[in-house]
Amino acid sequence: MTMEAKTHAIDISAMQRQNQTLRLEDETIALTVRDLELFYGEKRALHGVNMDIPKNRVTAFIGPSGCGKSTLLRCFNRMNDLVDSCSINGQINLYGDNIYERGIDVADLRRRVGMVFQKPNPFPKSIYENVAYGLRIQGITKKRVIDETVEWALKSAALWDEVKDRLHESALGMSGGQQQRLVIARTIAVKPEVLLLDEPASALDPISTLKIEELIHELKKDFTIVIVTHNMQQAARVSDYTAFMYMGDLIEFGVTDTLFTNPEKKQTEDYITGRYG
Amino acid sequence: MNISVKEWFKSGSPWVWMNAGAVAVSMIMVVGLLGLIAVRGLSHFWPADIVQGNYTQGGEQRVMIGEMVESAEVLTKQLIEAGIDLPETSEYSTRHLMKIGNRDVNGTDFTWALEYYFKDQTRPEMLFAAERHEWGNFYGYLRSVKEAGQEVGRYDDYDKSDAYLALWAELDKRIERVLDIHDDILDIEKGEIGAINYELERLRLKERGLQLDNVTDQRPYDEINQRRKELDQQYEGLQQRLLDLYTQINRDSLTAEVSTGEVVEIQLSKIVRVFRPNDMGVGQKILHYFAKLWEFVSDDPREANTEGGIFPAIFGTVMMVILMSILVTPFGVVAAVYLREYAKQGFITRLIRIAVNNLAGVPSIVYGVFGLGFFVYFLGGNIDDLFFPEAKPSPTFGTPGLMWASLTLALLTVPVVIVATEEGLSRIPRAVREGSLALGATKFETLIKVVLPMASPAMMTGVILAIARAAGEVAPLMLVGVVKLAPSLPLDGNYPFIHLDQKFMHLGFHIYDVGFQSPNVEAARPLVYATALLLVAVIALLNLSAIAIRNHLREKYKALEM
Repeated sequence: MTMEAKTHAIDISAMQRQNQTLRLEDETIALTVRDLELFYGEKRALHGVNMDIPKNRVTAFIGPSGCGKSTLLRCFNRMNDLVDSCSINGQINLYGDNIYERGIDVADLRRRVGMVFQKPNPFPKSIYENVAYGLRIQGITKKRVIDETVEWALKSAALWDEVKDRLHESALGMSGGQQQRLVIARTIAVKPEVLLLDEPASALDPISTLKIEELIHELKKDFTIVIVTHNMQQAARVSDYTAFMYMGDLIEFGVTDTLFTNPEKKQTEDYITGRYG
Repeated sequence: MNISVKEWFKSGSPWVWMNAGAVAVSMIMVVGLLGLIAVRGLSHFWPADIVQGNYTQGGEQRVMIGEMVESAEVLTKQLIEAGIDLPETSEYSTRHLMKIGNRDVNGTDFTWALEYYFKDQTRPEMLFAAERHEWGNFYGYLRSVKEAGQEVGRYDDYDKSDAYLALWAELDKRIERVLDIHDDILDIEKGEIGAINYELERLRLKERGLQLDNVTDQRPYDEINQRRKELDQQYEGLQQRLLDLYTQINRDSLTAEVSTGEVVEIQLSKIVRVFRPNDMGVGQKILHYFAKLWEFVSDDPREANTEGGIFPAIFGTVMMVILMSILVTPFGVVAAVYLREYAKQGFITRLIRIAVNNLAGVPSIVYGVFGLGFFVYFLGGNIDDLFFPEAKPSPTFGTPGLMWASLTLALLTVPVVIVATEEGLSRIPRAVREGSLALGATKFETLIKVVLPMASPAMMTGVILAIARAAGEVAPLMLVGVVKLAPSLPLDGNYPFIHLDQKFMHLGFHIYDVGFQSPNVEAARPLVYATALLLVAVIALLNLSAIAIRNHLREKYKALEM
């Protein structure tokens, strides 16, 4: 346990040092959000959010419960479409294409913008079939291609060594942490451009959490990552940019290091220092 | 240990006792029910002793031979009032129901005998019983065995001796031979001649079809006539073989002395088996018992269903239930998927749900009437017009049959499947659906690949409930396809192998028929119990197999611990 704690501490300082050189102006932008409003029936859950999410970086959304951070995240792959009473104004562009435009193929959008949920949700199939699911949906039938992709995805999710001997056993027999990494492997297997993580570690124990955090650090080389988290330390550890949201408003958005050490807004400072939330 | 009543109530133990009591009462009722039909039904096959005695009533004396089927205590006073001369020494008199058999001699199978008049009861070892294809059981003393009218053995005594046993062995041997020939005859009549008749009928329909289509080319007609000639020739050959077999089977006969002292001659071809129950050891009786039991589940019925087996009824029941399951599952599942997954939840869906639930409460005979009116007359009639015009005016599908019975029952049970499937669909975690959608699957792909497999145990639960309901249903079947006696099974070796248009036999209807429509009530009564037991066993077996499938699916798609 003490060994784990030590590596943990070293990782954080390393990430923070790296953050200091970042500037949003220099980044390629993957997602742009413009005047995004969202209603659940009569209730307004997002009040005109504007933000730019940079490519190949980790962007964290923090804020108290019910502030709309998960809602915003679910807008990026139109998961909110599943809620009957939900309506949306404004724009979200993925590399310049408005994802809320009429006639857009939602299934294709979701393939480009993958999502990992709060609780691990593997399908009641084998480990192999879980990872191959997205590929089969796309109509890939060549066994060699699927085999290679499954191996690559499991390796990328740092799960290969643990499961390579039991690929055809049920995924439901894995531990919670393994299941969550399997879900990440399943998501990256379809090679999305953006990876949305909705509190991916909140249901896991500290060691599994650490593994997920290290994994996020690895994955940002290939993917643009947006993560929602309750845990400010986690946001500080894993993200390059952080957005603080409160009551459906985006209060502050900036380089993580700056936001945590020198916040511009009073509300942000209050939240970070633990005065509320 | 002194506690007040109030505290005892507070402790909850009366509640526990009450619950346990309710469970116990239910268990006793179920076990009692099964026990009753099992004992009544299964004891029928045990070879009962044949009793002989002198029966003297009203100055008239006669010898009575028969099996004691049942005994009852009757008020003596009541009997005296009915005009029977009895001393008033005891309050009750014993009365036996005697199965005296020999319906061809006595005119009746059963008679009541008062213990008081029934004197000198003995169980002679040499009395034999013969089960026959017609006229019920025969009881008597074997006197001679004949071959082509010539005696080959004779015995005139009433005691066991080597001479008698030799004669008995001779009889046994000859009966074996007759039974073999009987099987051959059945094979030819039902199998080969059946197949020829079936093909001839198909040729006739083909020819008629050609005529209806105004085909003027002579070649197809010639082909049909050619084939018909071949079949006729085959038929002639078989007919000749049959004639030979019939002469062979009618070669042997036996003579036996009955209770009146009269000697009767019986053709061996009329006999199914002979045995001497009074001379049988326990081992022999057990063997005989299982042979009879096997005959019951594997043979065709004889003598207006009061003798023989009920295999066609078992077969019909199982076949109908399986067909019903095959029809009802996709129908119910598709409806449930639409209601739960696609339809906009609101007033209309609620109304439909209420209607579906109420449909399960409609009396089954109503479904029977609907099935007859809609399926048989309307659908069946139109199918005949469209596809089988050559068979008209005799209907093909426009008459009650297996297909319509299965469809009617599928309709009857579809609410159960819908409700169970909906329940299962609503229990699939939202997270799993979202997981699939987030990977770029459409709603349809999610349904097919994830949701439906996970809901399959719930569907099986629906099917299990449907089977339980359908297998025991009788009333609607009487209108849409079940008959007292079906000449052939709905599944055989003649193309297209499954004959959905045929009428079939059913255990439930068989119970009704044997119990209430039988010309020989006393002979049929034990069969009612035995058939009821078998119906319960068949339903249990069908359910168990469905449950096994469900458990397998459940294991495979174990729900997530969420």
